[in-house]
Amino acid sequence: MIMSRPLARVRSSLSWWPALLLATLVLLAVFAPWIAPVDPDRQNLLGRLKPPGFEARGQLFWLGSDELGRDVLSRMIYGARVSISVAFLSVMLSGIVGVSVGMLAGYLRGPVETVLMRLVDIFLSIPAILLAIITVAVLGPGFINVILVLALTRWPRYARVAYGQTLALADRPFVTLARAMGASTPRVLFTHLLPNIAGPLLVVATLEFGLMVLFEAGLSFLGLGVQPPTASWGSMLSTGRSYVASAWWIATFPGLALFLLVLSANLIGDRLTDQIGKGR
Amino acid sequence: MSLLAIDDLAIGAADLSLVDGVTLSVEPGEVVALVGESGSGKSLTALSIMGLLADGLQRQRGSIEFDGVDLTQLADEQLRSLRGAELAMIFQEPVSSLNPLAAVGDQVAESLIVHGRSSVADAGREAIDMLRRVGIPEPERRARQLPTELSGGMCQRVMIAAALISRPRLLIADEPTTALDVTIQAQILALMSALAEEANTAILLITHDMGVVAEMADKVCVMYGGRVVEQGPVEALFATPRHPYTNMLLKTIPRLDEEPGQELFAIPGNVPSPRDWPVGCRFRTRCDRADETCAERPALTGQLHQVACHHALRGDA
Repeated sequence: MIMSRPLARVRSSLSWWPALLLATLVLLAVFAPWIAPVDPDRQNLLGRLKPPGFEARGQLFWLGSDELGRDVLSRMIYGARVSISVAFLSVMLSGIVGVSVGMLAGYLRGPVETVLMRLVDIFLSIPAILLAIITVAVLGPGFINVILVLALTRWPRYARVAYGQTLALADRPFVTLARAMGASTPRVLFTHLLPNIAGPLLVVATLEFGLMVLFEAGLSFLGLGVQPPTASWGSMLSTGRSYVASAWWIATFPGLALFLLVLSANLIGDRLTDQIGKGR
Repeated sequence: MSLLAIDDLAIGAADLSLVDGVTLSVEPGEVVALVGESGSGKSLTALSIMGLLADGLQRQRGSIEFDGVDLTQLADEQLRSLRGAELAMIFQEPVSSLNPLAAVGDQVAESLIVHGRSSVADAGREAIDMLRRVGIPEPERRARQLPTELSGGMCQRVMIAAALISRPRLLIADEPTTALDVTIQAQILALMSALAEEANTAILLITHDMGVVAEMADKVCVMYGGRVVEQGPVEALFATPRHPYTNMLLKTIPRLDEEPGQELFAIPGNVPSPRDWPVGCRFRTRCDRADETCAERPALTGQLHQVACHHALRGDA
């Protein structure tokens, strides 16, 4: 498409905002104790359900207060910690497991391939949220368990992609040459093959990151995620739901933050897909 | 004792015979050419020495002795410790045979690092030195580049450097110059043999170019249909080819002293697919000397100059 030059410039400067937004949210999460106006767990029972901009005892509630008089803005900033760290760690864990499984299956072939890939098929056929609920019911809720649950349900995605990519590259002459040089199987897999399949895997990981943010919120919304009083966007949505008619701000702002975080992750993923498409 | 002694090697898939009873030997420091058309089993023989046959192909019988040790009896890990260190291999496609995302210097140093022969820093220095020796200008800068930034000829030099950096005892070169420009082919071959000679490395050279054979090889082994049909010292084989196939192969080389305008010689027919190989001598469907005795498989006979044919040419001598 032919675009006029000023328009193209606007477009290219706009293309930076997902990365910028993601960076901002990560910074907010990391430096939450210095940025949040007040302690996110401090209750103010006299200042319950106050609208944005309300001032009480010299404290300004920028985004209002919740049903226990806690500052919504502070809880959101602390909630970003949960969302981002759970999403990041579960992407890492499921990625490591899934990529290892997929690469081993694609490289070793034979019975290893059959067993591992049928396992992947089985996991892919179980509804993720059902598997998550069952696992939390067994393990109990909590920060670590949420990460384990998400990794358990999502690793097959990476396994599928890594498997296909490995299969496509395993017969290439450079892999045979690496073996002819005496490289061991782990070395062939991780030093020679992994960098060559990293692009598509990175795209999957980015898109999965957005999905993991939503999954964590979903689990917390159902009460299966991070437990109170720890602030999380999902649990804020959950409690805010009861007050939507009278105190819209409790659910609206975390929902908005969730939307922006997922959107920016997905836009970055789309851009990576385009970049890799160009590189090929 | 021979450096490499292959005896009665057979390779195939489940019900398919692709290489059938190959016997050949390579002495230390010697250059042996393995010649034949596409599909004659040259590359499979080479890959089976390295233990790198593709999935679905297996060695069906025979032994491959390297320095007195039967490679076919070694555990994977033992064979791996020989690959890259004692046995090295270079391939036909120089660009796609190098890892597209690894720096050239790292790939040259690979076998040193894999076998723990040097520290990573020393291996890097040795790799730059090796790149210089294979004639790559500015080796310090080139070592940090990716294979895609180099020409095909440069990449082949890099592969030779990577194969010879550990001073292997045997180098298997699978059509090392086929993908290169004619002008570069001679340079690459000269470089390869000079470096190999320096390290007393024997070369098993796989090719279908009789010109290359005449120039490089001490010994020639001609394959057809997965079998050795003739082998012997290069002078004897070129002067008095005894198998009709070798004879035709040599006749296909255009000569400068021929009358201009003459039609070029071609061997009649095509190589049959492995499923349709005739019983007995596999060349008999294309051979002008074939008769009913050829339905029986001819044995490889002779001392230095061996041939497998019931109607071998006596030669002029």
